[in-house]
Amino acid sequence: MTALLEIDNLTGGYRDTNVLFDVSARIETGSVLGVFGRNGVGKTTLARLVQGSLIAGAGEIRLEGSSVGTLPAYARRELGFGYMPQTSMVFDDLTVRENLNLGSNREAPDRYFERFPRLAERLDQPAGTMSGGERKILAFVRSMIEDTKLIVLDEPSEGVQPENIYHMADCLKERAAAGVGVLLCEQNLTFLTSISSWYLGLDAGTVVLNKPANEVSGADLRSILSL
Amino acid sequence: MVYVLLPVSLLLAVLLLIPELFGDFVAYQIGLYLIYGVAAQGIGYLWGKTGVLPLGQALFFGFAAYVTAITLRAESGLIIDLALATAVLAAISVFSFLLAALIFRGRNESGPYFSLITLALVMIAEQVAGTMTNLTGGFNGMSGFDSLGNLDPFGSFYYVIVAATVVVSLLLYVLNKLPVNLIAKAVADNEPRLQLLGFPTHVVKGAVFAFSAVIAALSGGLFASHQGIVTPTSMGFGLSAEMVILTAVGGRFHVLGPLIGAVIVGWASAELRDSFPYWELLMAAAFILVVLKAPGGIAELLESGYRRIRPAKIGKSFEAIAAPTTKVVDSDAPLRFDDVHLQIGVVRILNGVSFETPPTGIVSVIGPNGAGKTSALNTITGNLRITDGSIALGKRRIDSRPPYKALHSGIGRKLQVPSVFFSMNVSENLSIAMMANRARLIDLFRPSTYQWRSKSLSDLLEHSSVPLQEELVEPVEHLPQGHRQFLEYAMTIAAEPQVLLLDEPCAGLSPDETALMTNLVREYQAETGGLVIVIEHDISIVEAISDKVLVMHLGQVLAFDTFETVRSNPEVQAVYSGGTK
Amino acid sequence: MSSVLFLNLAWQISTLALVALGLAIVFGKLQIMNMAHGEFVMIGAYAPVITSSMGLPGWLQVPMCLLTVALVAFALERTIIRHLYGRMFDSLLATWGIAILLREAVELIFGRGYQSVSPPIGGTLSILGADYPAYRIVVIIGIIVGFAALYWWNTRSKVATRIKAMVGNPDLAEAIGINTARLSAGAFIFGCCTAGLAGLILAPTIRIEPMMGLDYLIRSFFALVVGGLGNLEGLGIGAGIIAGTQSVLGAVANQTYGYLAVLTLSILFLWLKPDGIRSSSR
Repeated sequence: MTALLEIDNLTGGYRDTNVLFDVSARIETGSVLGVFGRNGVGKTTLARLVQGSLIAGAGEIRLEGSSVGTLPAYARRELGFGYMPQTSMVFDDLTVRENLNLGSNREAPDRYFERFPRLAERLDQPAGTMSGGERKILAFVRSMIEDTKLIVLDEPSEGVQPENIYHMADCLKERAAAGVGVLLCEQNLTFLTSISSWYLGLDAGTVVLNKPANEVSGADLRSILSL
Repeated sequence: MVYVLLPVSLLLAVLLLIPELFGDFVAYQIGLYLIYGVAAQGIGYLWGKTGVLPLGQALFFGFAAYVTAITLRAESGLIIDLALATAVLAAISVFSFLLAALIFRGRNESGPYFSLITLALVMIAEQVAGTMTNLTGGFNGMSGFDSLGNLDPFGSFYYVIVAATVVVSLLLYVLNKLPVNLIAKAVADNEPRLQLLGFPTHVVKGAVFAFSAVIAALSGGLFASHQGIVTPTSMGFGLSAEMVILTAVGGRFHVLGPLIGAVIVGWASAELRDSFPYWELLMAAAFILVVLKAPGGIAELLESGYRRIRPAKIGKSFEAIAAPTTKVVDSDAPLRFDDVHLQIGVVRILNGVSFETPPTGIVSVIGPNGAGKTSALNTITGNLRITDGSIALGKRRIDSRPPYKALHSGIGRKLQVPSVFFSMNVSENLSIAMMANRARLIDLFRPSTYQWRSKSLSDLLEHSSVPLQEELVEPVEHLPQGHRQFLEYAMTIAAEPQVLLLDEPCAGLSPDETALMTNLVREYQAETGGLVIVIEHDISIVEAISDKVLVMHLGQVLAFDTFETVRSNPEVQAVYSGGTK
Repeated sequence: MSSVLFLNLAWQISTLALVALGLAIVFGKLQIMNMAHGEFVMIGAYAPVITSSMGLPGWLQVPMCLLTVALVAFALERTIIRHLYGRMFDSLLATWGIAILLREAVELIFGRGYQSVSPPIGGTLSILGADYPAYRIVVIIGIIVGFAALYWWNTRSKVATRIKAMVGNPDLAEAIGINTARLSAGAFIFGCCTAGLAGLILAPTIRIEPMMGLDYLIRSFFALVVGGLGNLEGLGIGAGIIAGTQSVLGAVANQTYGYLAVLTLSILFLWLKPDGIRSSSR
């Protein structure tokens, strides 16, 4: 049976230097793959290879069985990939409202503004005038309301206050319940463990752990983070 | 020295022998190319150093050519001619300086705007020259005058041109060796940093533009005398464009580049223009290629070829000279914000910030992201203009002044992301910093200024854990982020400001480096007895160094007190509830 | 003010607004300082010369103009311009080379001499008590209608926002589904085509020659400096001030004074109001 997203023997990186080596993983419909590892092990590279701003040197990426690994990012978005980058995650010159509406034709449902009232207050303000944490939230909500099958999130909780991280987890659970797959690269273990259904541990560009959540203990996670 | 002298003297010998070897007509042609080349050298200096591209340099070239023609026709004698020439050059330098300084005031970029203004100016000039028939002879131009000093344009005048070429080239070569060259290059490299080091960059650009205008005028005078005719095209847009192309193709970063470009392009064009109809197309394509692929032009290619035969020697010994003391500023008085408001567009960033620091000590500024901490520092240095309220240092009001005046009031600033001169090496960065707040105009033209070192800077460099001493010849762009932090810190304290503003100086530093940085800051404060304001996220650092802590939230001051009092403040706790990682 | 002077003013302002529109898109939105902007106006103006030399019927002028300009713009975008997004200063230099290239190419094909074409609509119309060329009145109305349509479309379409997003953050724009290569090429070609169209419209009223473009570049640039780069209203205001100053002073004094006044005005704006006339009203 084919999974929503299949990553097979992916090797890739930036120009001449490969960062990831022979990485394979699966994401089922409605599940959250938690990707973790120390700084610089290749989490962001994996996110970008899947989303399409980097093209893999070798290996394959399939969405619902069809290969997407050589498509540019905008074409993958049309097929149902959503993405929240780690840095430069909003359009600074556009207003909050424009940021939210540009990638989708839908208005953001009210429940997002109830959870993140600061966004509602700032709808007509340029996103570049908001603080780092607020921009993260804006980019996160944008990636939630887009019509996608698989969402790639790169460190969404970085610099975000704990209360808002809980709301983020709730939003992700809702999307997963609606059948969306999630690839979540995350440093914050509390957040990661609260929503992941499967873990992918990376070290030095290779997979060191690839197991369903119920087979992994907190000690396993911590040992990989402090290898 | 030898590696420069050898090829240059060969080149000069060839130039001097041209009339003997190839005859007077070839010398006449080469003379014309050299005249254009000299004007292009001025463009190259302006464009290659400061990044400002003049598209209307024929304005000065043509103006001087017309004045020369009018004067020579009046036949009033060499002395009066030369006196008038001096007056014209002075007038041109004043005009061009004012034009550039006015346009660049308040803009941090070399920008296309200025280029287009110069282009418009030259187009008007061409039109004016064509219509003022009484003075300029209209479209037919002015002719029928003898050359300067009655020299033969096909004979001895050639040597005047060669002499002028040598003089201008030597001048540029010497300027390249002087500290002023670093300042000019720093403008293109990192203008905001240069301003925070107290240099009014619009004045620098204005001065270099005036210098290039004078060189253009000089060659315009030679042109009139050499050609015996001046028409509106000598003051036109087409000539301006051609000079830029000569500069680009020849190489704008080298003294001789534009000359080489002028002679090669001029000669090729004379040979090919008539027989090869696509010549002009070829030139345009070559120009586009240079812009896209080889910004250094022919000179760069020649140099890299020559370097392969004869590698450059670097690393001459450095002897430090004690730097003169900094210009005295009396600012050991408190910094006071009084109901400061800052609004950008519809966004209110500061909403009535009021506080008064103690006259000395270390004040830490904390607060969540977006509280307005960095903006508050920007209002102190004038990088942002406040919309209401006032900021004073002692009795002097300091808000709403251009950033280059901050250091003159004794305020030094280190930026959030290390801001240094990335195209230069560590030593050059430090030299510029040593000039800040110390150098008089004359010092910029003395080689010894390079060797200035203050005691505090030497101490910092000799600190065993600060890695900069070994990296003096290393280009800054190769330094790791942490080392850049120390470099920018060193550059900021080199001017010995009484008020030191540090924006997250420990960002990206390892724990050891962080400890070193905090020690350095404490030592500096203790030595100078001045005021240090630090933005810092790490609460343990704040606790360790602060005499007082300023807590900002939503563009306002939430608390301003000692660390202990601030920590137990319930409002602060509410803002920071779980705010750490 | 006599009605002829008023109609002349309307003609100058509306045509300058159309000429400057393309630069507003390419410079204002894509941040490519297109020094070859005027050369696209020039190529557009040569379209009727091409059709008449090929013996084609007059109505083919418009498709001929748009096709030629679009092809040239497309070829240049693919080979040169697309390396220059985000490098404004290099874009100035490279397009400067392109401008020379286009001028020389046109000179090789058509020669250096002046060409002239007759307007497709002859005769005069009596309007506001004056006899005024019918062609110009049709053009003025056409440009006003065109700008109104553009304004209407711009408020409804997301294209302007998408371009702004693309220029500000190309990677993220790709990530949310914008084909940036196609969007930037499209915007560049569209901008050049409006310039070409302006050239075609102006052709019967001017002397057509390879060097004619520069003047349009300079005036368009001044209109943008005065009006600001932000939006269509600013463009209209800028064109109004520049064309107004130039034609009024040109009528009462002479062209050179008009030109000098416009230059002085622009330098004053760069110095005192670098974001254009509307910057203070926000």
